[in-house]
Amino acid sequence: MAKNIELRIYGMTCDGCVTHITDALKSTIGVEDVYVSLKDGQAIVRVDDNVDPGELEKLDVFTKTHYRVQVRSVKDE
Amino acid sequence: MSKYDLAIIGKGAAAFSAAIRISELTSNQIKIAMIGYGPIGGACVNVGCVPSKYLIEASKNFEMAKKSLYEGINVYASIDFNKFMEALNNFVVTERIEKYEKVIKNFHNIDLYEGKAKFVDKNAVTVNKQKITAFNFLIATGSKTLIPDVKGLNNYYTSENIWNIRKIPEKLAILGSGEVAVELAYAFSNFGSKVYIFNRSDRILKGFDDDITKNLRKTLKNHGIKFHTGVNINEIKDKTLFYDNGSLNFDEIIVATGRIPNIDGLDLDRAGIKFNDRGIIVDKYLKTSNENIYAAGDCVDQELKLETLAGKEGTMVAENILGSGRTINIKNMPWAVFCEPNVASVGYTEKEAKSMDIKYNVRKIEIKNVVKANILKSNDGIIKVISDEKGIILGVQVLASNAAEFIIEGVYLVQNRLTYSDIINSSHVFPTVAESIKIAGQSFIRDISKMSCCME
Repeated sequence: MAKNIELRIYGMTCDGCVTHITDALKSTIGVEDVYVSLKDGQAIVRVDDNVDPGELEKLDVFTKTHYRVQVRSVKDE
Repeated sequence: MSKYDLAIIGKGAAAFSAAIRISELTSNQIKIAMIGYGPIGGACVNVGCVPSKYLIEASKNFEMAKKSLYEGINVYASIDFNKFMEALNNFVVTERIEKYEKVIKNFHNIDLYEGKAKFVDKNAVTVNKQKITAFNFLIATGSKTLIPDVKGLNNYYTSENIWNIRKIPEKLAILGSGEVAVELAYAFSNFGSKVYIFNRSDRILKGFDDDITKNLRKTLKNHGIKFHTGVNINEIKDKTLFYDNGSLNFDEIIVATGRIPNIDGLDLDRAGIKFNDRGIIVDKYLKTSNENIYAAGDCVDQELKLETLAGKEGTMVAENILGSGRTINIKNMPWAVFCEPNVASVGYTEKEAKSMDIKYNVRKIEIKNVVKANILKSNDGIIKVISDEKGIILGVQVLASNAAEFIIEGVYLVQNRLTYSDIINSSHVFPTVAESIKIAGQSFIRDISKMSCCME
């Protein structure tokens, strides 16, 4: 079963940031779809059942750059 | 209703550290509500470390001006205590403005709320009937003076309001024998008060080893402070203390019998937060029993109540909210009492090592072996260094002038698991009181009574 993970993302200032984060999330195994909102500082990530939501917080894009993230909710589809 | 990423309850050291660090980490995009009452900055700047150290240093200055330590130098001193206390309070205001009020103005992502917060559920509080919701919470409400249950105890100062005093009390009773009690006793004794310390247990500064505190007690006694320890106060009538074996009348009473967490009225139960009378219960990441609520500083159930620990914990919470998983080793935290001589400690004391069955070696050096202490005419002290069997330093305790300034050397030793050889191999400036740590290190390998002061 797929899950929708809501992320609060800090540090985005432009469309380039949105692309950067979208690409990083999309290249993660198990991630099926990504929607990132610059205005809300949020992302909705659709993942398969094998993805641990907490692991998204550990991605390089959120630990080795200036972007930071927090998982806000996880909903089964 | 206002909605935030993070609500911080409290506006002292832990609150500010957390707010600043998490703002840095999120490029100031995190929306924070900081909720509290009373002057901004918390106990440290307003009624704690800052005014107390000002009081102590000034009192020391007055004491030195009254009694020259050096032959051939004659001195004279007088005091306008009212004027002095006005200056102390002005200093506090300046520090508060510079270090807190101006600082918070740099953070447009932080909204300040004046008032008492009360949890209404797991992700909301009310402040003056206004509802504030947040995904994350940090409780950093600090501590307050514990007032003992003594019949007739109703006209007294605490460390929170002693800053309003405008006349030096001729006879002063201090209830308690911890850090606050000893520091205030020392300061008022310097100003000329006849100071009496009353305490139920027979010990002072219970966190230090007994040989350190016995030595300090002797020095403070020689300074004129009278100790009535191991004594119960049965009743107080018009500032007359009736205790086990006598009674004494005082001009003023200061209560300094300890501090308790400032968590009344928060309605922690409504947010599912567990606590006891020592404070809020947290895990090693400072998370409470509610996974989106952290606690830091004096309101936490932990062994030390320190401004620096609160600050460190605030920073740690900021990083952990964003998934860092940071922890803290409380044994790496130094702490000090600023009487003269200072008492400072980091790591394990000998009694702790003993009680935990740690195999250790200890070296104890009298400060009269340190040339700078003799120059300062303050050589009545001890330094103790404890190592494990491999020579790794487990703890340092210093009773000496300026110990609060150089205990940081002990912090580096303990935190980085350095050995007494590392102490010996690091040159110290001569002559300094800090050199006492080097001499204690050398005592692990040689008899220091057969050592010249230039021995490296």
